[in-house]
Amino acid sequence: MEDYPEELRTPPVSLVSIVGCPELHPSISAALSSQQPPMNTLALPDFSKASILARSGKARDPLAPPQAPAGILKKDWLLKHRTRVPAAVAALFRADQVSGDPAQWLQACSDLENLKSAIQGKNTKLVVVLVQAQASDELSEDVTVALRKRAEIDSRHMIVLVEQDETEWSRSLSKLKNVFAELCSAFYKEEGRRIKARIEKRNFSSVELSIRYCFKVAVYAEFRRDWPEALKFYEEGVRVLREMIGTSTRLPPTQRLVEIKAVAEQFHFKISTLLLHAGKVVEAILWFRKHIRSYERVVGTPEVAFLHWEWFSRQFLVFGELIETSAATVPDTLSPRFGTADNALTEWEFQPAYYYQLAATYLREKRYAIECSSSVANLTTEASGIPESVMPSVYVGQYVRLFEQGDTVSVLPLSDTEYTSYALSEAERFQDSYEIIALFRKAYESFQSLGATRMASACSRGMAIEYYAAGDFSNAKQLFDGVAGLYRQEGWTTLLWENLGYLRECSRKLNFLKDFISYSLEMAALPLFSGSGEENRENKIKSGPGGSPTISRRENIQQEVINVLKRKQAPDGTNDEFDNAMEETTHLDIDQISPLRMVLTASVAFHDQSVKPGSPLLISVSLLSHLPSPVVVDQLEVQFNQSDCNFVIHSAQEDSPPLDSNLHDQVVEATSLTLFTNKWMRLTREIKSGQSGKLECLSVKATINKHLVICCHAESPASMEDFPLWKFEDHVETLPTKDNVLAFSGQKLIQVEEPDAQVDLVLNSAGSALVGEIFIVPVTILSKGHAVHSGELKINLVDAKGGGLLMSPREAEESESHDVELLGVSTVDGKELKEEVDSIRKIQYSFGVVSVPTLSEGDSWSCKLEIKWHRAKSVMLYVSLGYSLGSTEEEALHRLNVHRSLQIEGQIPLLVTHQLLRPFRREPLLLSEIRSLGGDDKKCSLAMNESNMFIVNARNCTEVPLRLHSMTIEPDDDGKQLCSVQQVSGISNGHAVIAPSEEYKGIFSVNPRASSSNFHLGDICLNWSRDSSLGEDQETHVIMKQRLPEEIKYSLVDSQNFVFSGAHNHAAFILPKSEHTVSHKLVPLGSGSQQLPRITVTSVRYSAALTPSTSAATVFIYPSEPKFNLETSCSTSDECVS
Amino acid sequence: MASTACFVIVSKNDIPIYEAEVGSAPKKEDLAHQHQFILHAALDVVQDLAWTTNAMFLRSVDRFSDLVVSVYVTAVHTRFMLLHDSRSDDGIKSFFQEVHELYIKIFLNPLYLPGSRITSSHFDTKVRALARKYL
Repeated sequence: MEDYPEELRTPPVSLVSIVGCPELHPSISAALSSQQPPMNTLALPDFSKASILARSGKARDPLAPPQAPAGILKKDWLLKHRTRVPAAVAALFRADQVSGDPAQWLQACSDLENLKSAIQGKNTKLVVVLVQAQASDELSEDVTVALRKRAEIDSRHMIVLVEQDETEWSRSLSKLKNVFAELCSAFYKEEGRRIKARIEKRNFSSVELSIRYCFKVAVYAEFRRDWPEALKFYEEGVRVLREMIGTSTRLPPTQRLVEIKAVAEQFHFKISTLLLHAGKVVEAILWFRKHIRSYERVVGTPEVAFLHWEWFSRQFLVFGELIETSAATVPDTLSPRFGTADNALTEWEFQPAYYYQLAATYLREKRYAIECSSSVANLTTEASGIPESVMPSVYVGQYVRLFEQGDTVSVLPLSDTEYTSYALSEAERFQDSYEIIALFRKAYESFQSLGATRMASACSRGMAIEYYAAGDFSNAKQLFDGVAGLYRQEGWTTLLWENLGYLRECSRKLNFLKDFISYSLEMAALPLFSGSGEENRENKIKSGPGGSPTISRRENIQQEVINVLKRKQAPDGTNDEFDNAMEETTHLDIDQISPLRMVLTASVAFHDQSVKPGSPLLISVSLLSHLPSPVVVDQLEVQFNQSDCNFVIHSAQEDSPPLDSNLHDQVVEATSLTLFTNKWMRLTREIKSGQSGKLECLSVKATINKHLVICCHAESPASMEDFPLWKFEDHVETLPTKDNVLAFSGQKLIQVEEPDAQVDLVLNSAGSALVGEIFIVPVTILSKGHAVHSGELKINLVDAKGGGLLMSPREAEESESHDVELLGVSTVDGKELKEEVDSIRKIQYSFGVVSVPTLSEGDSWSCKLEIKWHRAKSVMLYVSLGYSLGSTEEEALHRLNVHRSLQIEGQIPLLVTHQLLRPFRREPLLLSEIRSLGGDDKKCSLAMNESNMFIVNARNCTEVPLRLHSMTIEPDDDGKQLCSVQQVSGISNGHAVIAPSEEYKGIFSVNPRASSSNFHLGDICLNWSRDSSLGEDQETHVIMKQRLPEEIKYSLVDSQNFVFSGAHNHAAFILPKSEHTVSHKLVPLGSGSQQLPRITVTSVRYSAALTPSTSAATVFIYPSEPKFNLETSCSTSDECVS
Repeated sequence: MASTACFVIVSKNDIPIYEAEVGSAPKKEDLAHQHQFILHAALDVVQDLAWTTNAMFLRSVDRFSDLVVSVYVTAVHTRFMLLHDSRSDDGIKSFFQEVHELYIKIFLNPLYLPGSRITSSHFDTKVRALARKYL
């Protein structure tokens, strides 16, 4: 658009001229141009310059026959009207010039005459301006009238400017402006009407004039800002112009076409500008479409096709720029549904990028056309040469040759041949490539920002092809790479094919052997099955260097790679390629996301999931290639994370020694390693498993033709992905292994187990543990074949019932005490591991870690675990030995573990019960209030100042005999004051042995000294040990307490040994802290120990009944004098409220 | 019959699963390329447009010089794209509808994996016949 002249790009502005008084010109022209609409001023300092306003062209002889016009539009016509043909002329005179001196008056008159004669014959209007210093300087009426008469103007067009006074000045200036505006409008209207009349009368001799008139009328309308009329006449002009293509014969056909197109371009530009300025985007686009459609086929002869494409491309470029600059957006009223009946436009047509992209495409077309034309021109018109001094003529789109003969310079028309060679030489001077790239880049960025990645990559591809054509291969390669990524992802294989073809050539040109090979292989492995198309030169240009996508071409490409590898001459004849890159082998890495996966894929599966170290295991290696021709692999190297397991398979045909002779590798010979297209090559090998841990197959390296090493990452069949491009192709799918299960679940890694530990860990237990004692568990480590280095013994105590911890978390918070506690570890010689305090890392309540000294083969070591039970509980003891086979760092990493566990029951050793025996009555048959009660944990009443028997039973609940060392009652302070306790029978010989489930009875006499309702007798202390081991203390508490109830009912049951008097059932109220005595008279019927009638006491409130135990209700009847009355008294306070 | 027409079926993951040059103009390899490029680039517009309308048939979503891209979007977002230079909207619409029926028949084939390339020669023959009939 910048190439267009200024006057075409901007809307026309009316032109007025002012003559005389040059000091006022700046302010006047500034005022006029700031007006709305603005006016341009042609300022002439004095009247002598007025002649330039006169018609410059030679006066045409009105009688001469009308000549055929030599062209459609004159190039400078528009410029002339915008800069040299004013619509109105103002003659400025100072007041003193016209009022005083007659000589000056005469001068003014002659100036005016000159001006009048200059504008004579035109419609240019004349205005006379008188400049006064002050408003008060009133000019005489006759002077102004005389001046007006001289100038032959209307009184309205006689204006007085007042210079000094500010307000007067602006007032008079605005008057001048109004007069000018009115005159301009009248002038352009008149001019327009004049020309329009000619069109309407069809008063012209040729079609060229018709177009010219249309243009003029439209421009005049534009001057008047009458846009609809301008549009109408421009469109009319375009219509006539289009019709003219076939009819005009004025110029040779090529030049005629060029001229028509140049004019059409101007018309179209004007129309587009007008439409876009009016906000009619849709109309502008539709108009553009129409414009393009009417000219796209008007290519002309093939030699000048490039001119057409250049012009055509420019149309798109200019329209794109117009859309961009006019900032026109898609109108809201437009339906968002593009491409429907009510909206025939596509979304892109509102985007400048769309036009840039097309402009670039057509510019490329031009480049192709130039290439064709130049080659033809070079062959045919070698002799004729390029005509000299060709220049644009005065008409738009025409070229002429200057011809000098002596002093006279004449202008000669060109022949078509001359013109063609001139245009060709001109066109060849330009580097279109950069233009094309710039356009594509602009479009690319725009589409990218719109989120249209596919359009953007189409532009990117355009750029890349241009770079390729311009020989900038590294840029081209980079861009092609980006585009290829998208096509790969979306699976448009034909497009990918073409891209890769370019990429391949780029790498060839850049001498990148590795890239060349990888692109070639990818191309060869693409899934393309379209029919065979023969290649020709034209195809090669348009479908890129890759050729047409056929199977045969794929095979060719594969063969080319082989040939390059074999250092043979490539079929293209470029025999020097890759000479320096061939020195070494080429490595290609193929991982799971590489596009080269189609070329070679390795699937590796172990047949087992885990294996013992050192034992043989089977591995299946399967290779698949989609290359069209069979691939011969020289050598296959399978690599693992444990390099000892690596192995190499050589093809039997391979007669040269292996390239890579790794000592570790196992070398295997195979008959033939040939990969056929889409067929798995399956190899099963037996290898020795290495060290324990993970054994993973990392990669499979295939060496092809000695110089190409393809390193495939190994894939597990279980997690193998589909081939992205081949996934949906119609071909037979096979499994990597014959074994179906392996094909779906095989893994490329295997777990090599730890070697069996050859160390024995022995836990000895002496039955169940007893609560309170320190229980010893001896642990013995016996090495049977392994030396133990940096051994470590871990001890763990876990609740056998589950739950892990030996106490509940809540308990742990509440107290520090544990039910079972690991106290320590001692070595076999008895001393604590004090000197090895460092090596005992930790002993906690339930967990301990102990280090084991280094043991050589056959040695043993033992220690003892000391565990104490606080409560009867079953516990699992876990002991694990971790050790390594050597002290070196490497060996230290491989630790072997031996685990043992043992369940140990915790038992309560002695069950302690007690019993109180109250003294029998001294007097026969007269019972005291006190009697013996059951040994339960009940409150008893004891006789004061009497010796009461207190019997403590200790029963052995274990299965081992226990030795009782002492049994004492340790009274507390309370007990000491209130009673005295004496041991009646003690333990003889220092200890007493209690066999399992036997009982030991200790007898004490308790003598209460004071009356107390509630006292604590003391603690029973038992000191015991296992019959053969150390003893421990044991305490038993006996607590006696008293409580006070209230209302009771009681009943008596008959007994066969007694007769009694009194109520069987009765109720009584007992006040707190009081006693109630129920009295019955009994007559015994027999002697001896007899059962008294049973009394049952019931508390009404609590519905709790109490029956005294049998022993409490037994009396001994002396067999003496009969007829005695017995009395039972039950202490109601005995009642226990539960 | 249109002189140029390139018909492509694009699966819902943007992979072309059927391609056919159905124009009456003599087949040229280079043009086939060009047509695919245009159709591929037009996918961008279709992507936006398909969600703005309920209609399956989107007429002239994109144009490249005198070639127009018309698209028919099926319910599973498979796109039938036709690059053509003819102007008969009705014919194109009928063509798409009939091809849709053919496509559904392909889909009903239990051996056809949805999204994979359509290689049925019967389908190909039918599509070409439809193109002769409508375009």
